[in-house]
Amino acid sequence: MTALTAIRREDLAPAFSQELNGILHLLTCGSVDDGKSTLIGRLLWDASDLYDDQRETINRSSNAATGGAHPDFSLLLDGLVAEREQGITIDIAWRYFDTATRRFVIIDSPGHEQYTRNMASGASHADVAIMLVDARHGVKRQTRRHAAILDIVGVKRVILAVNKMDLVDWSQEKFRAIEADFRELTLRFGFREATTIPVSAVGGDNVARKSEHMPWYTGPHLLEYLERIPSRDTTARGPFRLPVQTVLRDGVDFRGLAGTVASGCISVGDRVTDALSGQSAHVLRIATMGRDLEIAEQGQAVALQLDSDIDVARGAVISASDSLPTVAARIEGRIVWLWETPFDPGNSYLLRTSTDLAPISTLAITSLLDLETLAAEPADTCSVNDIALATITLGRPVAIDAFPDNAPTGIFLIIDALTGASVAGGVISSATQGEGEGASAFRLTRELLERGLCRDLGDSDEDRREFQRRANEAALLLHAAGIPVKIEI
Amino acid sequence: MTAEYSHLDMLEAESIHIFREAAAQFRRPVLMYSIGKDSTVLLHLARKAFWPQKPPFPLLHIDTTWKFRDMIEFRDKTVRDFGLDLIVYTNEDGVRRGVNPYDYAPSTYTDVMKTQALKQALDKYGFDAAFGGARRDEESSRAKERVFSFRSAGHRWDPRRQRPEMWNLLNGRLGAGETVRVFPLSNWTERDVWRYILREKLDVVPLYFAARRPTIERNGQLLVVDDDRLPLQKGEVPKMKSVRFRTLGCWPLTAAVPSTAADLESVVEETLGARTSERQGRLIDHDQAGAMERKKQEGYF
Repeated sequence: MTALTAIRREDLAPAFSQELNGILHLLTCGSVDDGKSTLIGRLLWDASDLYDDQRETINRSSNAATGGAHPDFSLLLDGLVAEREQGITIDIAWRYFDTATRRFVIIDSPGHEQYTRNMASGASHADVAIMLVDARHGVKRQTRRHAAILDIVGVKRVILAVNKMDLVDWSQEKFRAIEADFRELTLRFGFREATTIPVSAVGGDNVARKSEHMPWYTGPHLLEYLERIPSRDTTARGPFRLPVQTVLRDGVDFRGLAGTVASGCISVGDRVTDALSGQSAHVLRIATMGRDLEIAEQGQAVALQLDSDIDVARGAVISASDSLPTVAARIEGRIVWLWETPFDPGNSYLLRTSTDLAPISTLAITSLLDLETLAAEPADTCSVNDIALATITLGRPVAIDAFPDNAPTGIFLIIDALTGASVAGGVISSATQGEGEGASAFRLTRELLERGLCRDLGDSDEDRREFQRRANEAALLLHAAGIPVKIEI
Repeated sequence: MTAEYSHLDMLEAESIHIFREAAAQFRRPVLMYSIGKDSTVLLHLARKAFWPQKPPFPLLHIDTTWKFRDMIEFRDKTVRDFGLDLIVYTNEDGVRRGVNPYDYAPSTYTDVMKTQALKQALDKYGFDAAFGGARRDEESSRAKERVFSFRSAGHRWDPRRQRPEMWNLLNGRLGAGETVRVFPLSNWTERDVWRYILREKLDVVPLYFAARRPTIERNGQLLVVDDDRLPLQKGEVPKMKSVRFRTLGCWPLTAAVPSTAADLESVVEETLGARTSERQGRLIDHDQAGAMERKKQEGYF
């Protein structure tokens, strides 16, 4: 692994015609004061394939702002006019840059506490997170908050960048103290890897080149560390899961269950099961346009043709027959409330899994998580930026996994049925097999729907989808009228 | 994941996932087809996503009447070759009023002939979702764009009403009056688009390749004169020069670059080694600071 500090575009150019070895999604979190924009700007400036006109713009704007003392690297990050005027980042910004071997995606999330939701949604896309602190202040309340959020959404690798080392005279002692605090903090979470790096973003120390000011630090600089991280987790494969997005036909004999492999891998001939219906079959073809595959792995978008026509549609999760997801109608989960409108027990909500959408019969908040102490305080409501524990009962079962067992199918959104807004994102702590509502619930059966509301629908995929949709909507209306519903179709 | 599974494979799979999610959740989607390289990649990915079916939505081209002739020819050939449904829409009211790219400020022209036209077309056909080829790397206001970008009634983009997107869960449930723009290429860069065109051996409009073309220089930009509608200023005499385009739009508003890259390999080589970003060649963006953000709030892509 070589440092890329002095790399010239001329050296990079030949590599650009190659396809890069994967993509690393990098979340940056910290407050404006910690110099986050400057750190990322510096990384882009020193190590990436920035265009000349972008460099020129920065130089020009910097001259106006700083009198030309140094480029204002943070200008590379700041986006919307509204935000520039406020001088803060209120949304997630996505940046892309390539080194000679690797595509980096920087997910820049806001630091302020009132933007926990943005950070959580940004973190849900990240392979690794850089947490930033000011060397003068060390680990703060906010750092703990951020670590807790990262842990909840499943980020496994974290880096603490101790910035502004120049302002503490490059003090090893200061750094070691912060490092120790951070280690203690991270031990409380489920991170696989946590590391601490002393940097000065303004001077570029340990960002994309080794600092001359801190000979006592012998570890990798930031970019070096990032380039060593595998872009995809090859170890944690998990059981095979393919949430069906849609069914594709060629009008003759091909019926392909189209979807992206959420976890594990699948080969031609493997036995698979749709957990919702209990039907099994073998994989006959793994089809893509242009060529068939022998094997498909996590992340690949394919269409599976099975050797017997099992009756599945969008929402089904095609799984390895020997390791099935839970067919659950009751879920315990940790949720981040994302929307300005607080939780309202009288409102109708839907649960969105990978590709399924089921009406929620009851959504009960049991407690709020104090991100500083990590203690769960009893509560029955939550609002924007809260992390809550919730119990969800569904109108009909969905196929899911517990998040710690298989993260890609252990996630969900809660959707406001009326406005469509994604009000919360969540991870499943535990899922209970079986039916949702008890015997007292109104049974919304296929027969009942066929008699009237869905009389006009036939047997085509489109009609079945419409049938499902109407059933969901009918359940929502009944629920809104205070009638517990169980969908049986 | 094997080493052969490159970043382009990851991007391709992600885009296919987005196409399938949108087609499954929206009732009447449409693909905004602007004929350029991004549209070419977008269409190719749509074909992959639904193969062996055809994409379950039509293509919509907003024709300002000022597109290069080569673009229109390419559009019609593409639609024919793949057997696709194409809707061409022009803001006839704008044409009647004589709104053109040289008498009007680029921002006014774009508003009338592109933004208004697009809104009219979406309303006319009742589309609830429109696929576009916008990428987050294009411009700073786009860096914050969602994959499913919601528009309230009147197609307005309100940054505060955008839904947080977590993991790869794409929520397409619409509220009253809402429509959505879907961006399957969100995470692609300009370089990826070219790399992919090369890898998949896709046909693109010949204007991307260098050829000797009649050019004039205006405000420091090279314009290729595509027909006789643009009034030449004093002293402007079209000269034959070897040029090509990095991006395509309305010809009086699209600057060419001097180049001898006449085939796909050399264009890709030139692009990958390029020192300036592609928006340099789009005259409308230099109109005013924050121009793109304002245009987006008004309904432009």
